[in-house]
Amino acid sequence: MKTALQQALELIIGGSGELSNILLVTARVSLTSSLVSLIIGVPIGLLLGSKSFFGRRALVVISRTLMGMPPGVCGLLFYMMFSGVGPFGRYKLLFTVEIMILAQVVLIIPLVVSNMETYVSRISDQVRETARGLGLKGLRVYVLLANESVYQIFTTYLLAFARAVAEVGAVSMVGGAIAWKTNVMTTAIMLYTNRGSFTLGVALGLILMTISLAVNILVTLLQRRLSR
Amino acid sequence: MKVNAVTKTYEGKTVLRMPALEFEPGRICAVMGANGSGKTTYARILAGVVRADGKIKPFEGNESVGYMPQKSYPFRMTTLSNVNLIVKDKARALDLMRTLSIDHLAKQRAGSLSGGETARMALARLFMGEFDVLVLDEPTASMDIESTALTEELIKKACRERQCVMILVTHSLKQVQRVADDLLFLYKGELIEHGEAKKVLSSPTRQETKQFLEFLGD
Repeated sequence: MKTALQQALELIIGGSGELSNILLVTARVSLTSSLVSLIIGVPIGLLLGSKSFFGRRALVVISRTLMGMPPGVCGLLFYMMFSGVGPFGRYKLLFTVEIMILAQVVLIIPLVVSNMETYVSRISDQVRETARGLGLKGLRVYVLLANESVYQIFTTYLLAFARAVAEVGAVSMVGGAIAWKTNVMTTAIMLYTNRGSFTLGVALGLILMTISLAVNILVTLLQRRLSR
Repeated sequence: MKVNAVTKTYEGKTVLRMPALEFEPGRICAVMGANGSGKTTYARILAGVVRADGKIKPFEGNESVGYMPQKSYPFRMTTLSNVNLIVKDKARALDLMRTLSIDHLAKQRAGSLSGGETARMALARLFMGEFDVLVLDEPTASMDIESTALTEELIKKACRERQCVMILVTHSLKQVQRVADDLLFLYKGELIEHGEAKKVLSSPTRQETKQFLEFLGD
């Protein structure tokens, strides 16, 4: 294990074309899917947490249920829909980075929505009552609610990114873990470990943890800056 | 200004039954009563925060109503930005804050203010707007004597100058004596006495009012 770790460090320091490609694909998939999920999920969460309408509770239950959707199931659904005989087969998206992002977006949105809904429903009454008392209505109330939820948005983004970067089931099924094309860190770790090539697996594991740490530090610094 | 008769029922229990009333602009009307008498429910209905039974609107016209809830919410921004929320006028905001002695807190985050400071900030924030009706739900509850005096002065001045209807929910008998022109006395969700504040306080007709006022007088 020590040898593999040493070799992994050498690989990281020395650089490798394949490793760089895996990192780039991972960054593209995880950052895009988590950001898109945040952009779609935050307004939905704000709405569900602050507005009463017919079917709201059902939507909250559905969203919370989908939070626990196994990535493999999500991958399977996308695989069936986008395979040659599937309804979206003509788009030829299977085994591309785009379909990996799409599958992850579907997987992460419920997480974002539920997190935001839970938080916003706690502060919504007071914010809405105060805003209403000041004669503020419509979009301005939602802007205020979003402003009050800014810490939660950051925390939710961290969760979304963590889910995206660590996810393996959906991306491996719809992406196929094709070297130099759709192989991301998690699928590569699995692939190389299965082959008995621990060096690259350990190197990728180290990088994955470092990226996670870096994103956490960045978001924490941003939160601190905003609180001033 | 006419206000329609309204009722409010929660889970089959009617907690408020108010008759139609008429408020005079430029006068402060205090709303008094024991806990659970329906003061806050009435204030929230007037403010449009809570719907009355049958979705009856309290006001017949399109009167604009400003409302300060019992617990003021400081938005996640500086005190000055909070006060400047409805109308962007820094000079006026600072002037109002000076009147309430919170101008030195302008750059401080509103969330870090004390209860009394938050209430004064909320009052300044509300007074930045132009409203036909102002409903204040226990605005001085968390304030010290000095802040209460400043606030009462501002309330009286604003009411006279703006010629708006001012409805002040309060528990303080002395506050009613100091600022109120009229008084509504609520008991178990019913309006049992109303009229000129001095008259109601000096010669209450109902036993419940007498008892409450005697208790407050102690």
